[in-house]
Amino acid sequence: MKILIAEDDPVSSRILEKNLLNWGYNVNLAKTGEEAWGALKDEDLRLAILDWMMPGMDGVDICKKIRRRRRKKYTYIILLSAKDRKQDIIAGLSSGADDYMTKPVNFLELRARLRTGERIINLEDKLILVQDQLKDLASRDSLTKLWNRGEIIKFLREELERASREKKAVGVIMLDVDFFKKINDIFGHDIGDVALLQVVSRIKRKVRKSDKVGRYGGDEIVTILPNCPPSEIFKIGERLRLAVARRAIKTDLDAIPITISAGCACSEEVPEPTAEKLIRASDEALLIAKSQGRNCVAVHGMSNKGRKNV
Amino acid sequence: MSNHLDSSQDLPIDFSEVLERIGGDELFLEELLKIYFEEFREKIPFLREAIEQGNFSLIQELSHGLKGASANLSLASLKKACFALEMSGREKNIEQARSAFFCLETEFQRLKNYLEASPLGNRTGQRLGK
Repeated sequence: MKILIAEDDPVSSRILEKNLLNWGYNVNLAKTGEEAWGALKDEDLRLAILDWMMPGMDGVDICKKIRRRRRKKYTYIILLSAKDRKQDIIAGLSSGADDYMTKPVNFLELRARLRTGERIINLEDKLILVQDQLKDLASRDSLTKLWNRGEIIKFLREELERASREKKAVGVIMLDVDFFKKINDIFGHDIGDVALLQVVSRIKRKVRKSDKVGRYGGDEIVTILPNCPPSEIFKIGERLRLAVARRAIKTDLDAIPITISAGCACSEEVPEPTAEKLIRASDEALLIAKSQGRNCVAVHGMSNKGRKNV
Repeated sequence: MSNHLDSSQDLPIDFSEVLERIGGDELFLEELLKIYFEEFREKIPFLREAIEQGNFSLIQELSHGLKGASANLSLASLKKACFALEMSGREKNIEQARSAFFCLETEFQRLKNYLEASPLGNRTGQRLGK
């Protein structure tokens, strides 16, 4: 673990450094408050031993600055001082330090206190990990593990903002499985789920890493394509359609010939595009594809080019 | 000479205390004393100048630093002299500052003499030089 020693007294600094190196820490040294503050920009520096009295910015000033910054990960601070009166200890801890040690330092004590700091950092790391996992869980559809509707719309909004800044286009492809209700009715919902998962898996293999695929609802799958000009979107829709239609989907019961219909919309073809407008446009194109006999791709604003493929 | 380590009250350095603090590593103690001597020699001219100019905040800052280093090496009398100097800075008392500075230099000399003469100091003193 990386640790910062901010101490202007070279003797104290060297003793601390030697001990910490012996205990396996990766040590950064600073001689002034300003140097320490500069070093603390490193997000991996999670443990800091700060001397209270330093030229320029002192340890207490740094504690306050650390606590004011908005950072996901916590920095554990041990404040060192020769001041051992109760009111000094209280002032030191009130400035945001987690622990306080008087100098000269007893090294067995320091080691024990560092372990406490590490325990807290490790606990926090676990908490952040679980928090991220929960957030991910809440952002995804439980069956397909695709982004859920809320997330995909959020992503589309962000991409539209970026596209307007960078003068680029965003594409949306809304697709659904042809006669999905019938598949469920004939084979049962378990097989319907398997079929949907297979469709999702084939689609995900055909999009770029920067594209986002989400479950819009039921068997409706939406794909957001950043930096996708209108000239490309039909080709991409076709690629997805073919990936599903090319061969039947194998299930435990049977191989089922499954096809999809896709509606495409591009932000360049929609006036003052918003996420809602683009989704609506792709949905309308999907309806056109359905009306043209399914297993085909239709593009918003270019309905004549929507082609039926058998 | 053999009683040096026993009458630690008056000695400029408490070897047993400092060695306990650094895990009994005598070579490391030598290294630390060398750092201390360099630091002291570097700061003394600035302290002298600060006293001449009556720059009390600088007197306080410099003597505080040396006090910490002295405490770490269990140099009790030097720590005491540094503390007196730091207080003189805080109280803006130039007479007290001059007298504390005199004590500081004298105690530093006493430490050097002691290290040159004592068994552990013999090695340390030779390596540190004057």
